[in-house]
Amino acid sequence: MITIENLSKSYGDKTVLENITLNLKKGKVYGIVGENGAGKTTLFNCISGLEKHNGTINCEYGIPKTSLGYLQTDPYFFSKITGLEYLKLLSNARNLKPIDFSEKNIFDLPLNEYAIKYSTGMKKKLALTALLFQENKFFILDEPFNGVDIHSNMIITEIILQLKQLEKTILISSHIFSTLNETCDEIFLLKNKTISMQVKKEDFDILENELKEFSIGNRISKLNLK
Amino acid sequence: MKKYFTLQFKMFHRQLSEWGIEPILAYPLGLSIFILISLQLFNKTQYADVIYIGIALSQIIKSNEEVRNNFLKLTYSLVDYLKLRIIENWIIASPFIIFLIYQENYLFAFILLISCVFSILFVLKSRFNFYLPTPFYKYPFEFTIGFRTNFILYIFAYFLTIMSIVVSNFNLGIFSLIATIIGCTTYFTYSENKFYIWIHSLNPKEFLYAKSKMIVLYTTILCSPILISLSIQFYNKIDIILGIQCLGYLFIYMTMLAKYSIYPEKLNIRFGIVIALTIWLPPILILIIPYLYIESTKKLKELLQ
Repeated sequence: MITIENLSKSYGDKTVLENITLNLKKGKVYGIVGENGAGKTTLFNCISGLEKHNGTINCEYGIPKTSLGYLQTDPYFFSKITGLEYLKLLSNARNLKPIDFSEKNIFDLPLNEYAIKYSTGMKKKLALTALLFQENKFFILDEPFNGVDIHSNMIITEIILQLKQLEKTILISSHIFSTLNETCDEIFLLKNKTISMQVKKEDFDILENELKEFSIGNRISKLNLK
Repeated sequence: MKKYFTLQFKMFHRQLSEWGIEPILAYPLGLSIFILISLQLFNKTQYADVIYIGIALSQIIKSNEEVRNNFLKLTYSLVDYLKLRIIENWIIASPFIIFLIYQENYLFAFILLISCVFSILFVLKSRFNFYLPTPFYKYPFEFTIGFRTNFILYIFAYFLTIMSIVVSNFNLGIFSLIATIIGCTTYFTYSENKFYIWIHSLNPKEFLYAKSKMIVLYTTILCSPILISLSIQFYNKIDIILGIQCLGYLFIYMTMLAKYSIYPEKLNIRFGIVIALTIWLPPILILIIPYLYIESTKKLKELLQ
């Protein structure tokens, strides 16, 4: 179990997150939705330890980062490093035994090419592959489906469901509601700097309708499209 | 178009500020260094004008990168795009053109002026799938990336080593060794993304120890052809060769510590001065290395628990 209590984050005078409290259980998949700039990535950075914050995080695995696989929304790649070297770098960082990466290359990535030249989706798949080798217990996946082709989307969905069966804790953000609907047990709505709504699977339809109502409203009519 | 250039200058000034140089000082300082190097080049080299044009064109070609040009083409009309790119190239080439005119080398000045126009036709594509294999696969990334960026330097350094043996010139051999060590030092002047430190399951001391082991191992691999050749050819000066090699390890280690001591800030001109001071007076390393080590562990503690 990972317990996040009263997590707050400010940049100078500007508060981005305020008193976020979450209980994340083993073998559960949690989704986070919110508008662009709502603070989802900041929240993930705080949980991972990449950003300083107020509040406490208790993790039964010890320090969260040692058992955390964090897929960033826009993974950073060095300019002249191949896909294979990237996988090696991330497995070295966790002191893993040598792995035959080419055998486990489930997304058929061109591992001997420079990762920086990969497409957006390929970069995401490479970063995800590296995390899966690390045998993490807790996963944060920041928009894992973004830019990824439909076949790989299906594979990623299946991976998430398998990780769930393996009793991993997974926290996902996505702007595609159907992907969350398919994978999540519970969804949090991040709005006005805090978790404004916490919805169980049986009520996802209600959440989707509320999001539609809130997001679309009468905005499009303001455009006066012709 | 005026706004584009204003923005480019703003971005350039921000870059200078990041390096710790005030833009108001950077221009006269940069110009003085440029004139000094140009004068040296024209006084001491026979084909200075050809080398000069080569250097100028290599700078111009850098702005022909595909993604950047695609963005400009999409943003501006074709006429504005062409105007903008030509003016941009002229700005880059202007110090070279002015110096060539000063040298009364009007032909080469004219060639460079015209090249600025025609060079915009060659957009650098980056679609090659070729990658350069390195002996540094086991511990990416500094040496892997650095070697791929600077491999021509090593070809040049190894060539100088061969020449030093052929003409029996010890100093030339030592120069090739120093050039290789400087090449390795530059790998640690770049501050990596936070994520690449955060991912390690190590505390700051273990992290720095792993980096230092890698420095010794991989620097030795890169220097070994020079070390072995020089040690055989100039065996009576082996103490000097090994002394320089050991100092090289310390300089690279110090640069790595300097980088992490101010992380995530980038290395700036102040550290450039400190590094220059240690080259002038190496015993200072005894004081600077422990200080930078303590500062680095403090900084790394934020990401490595």
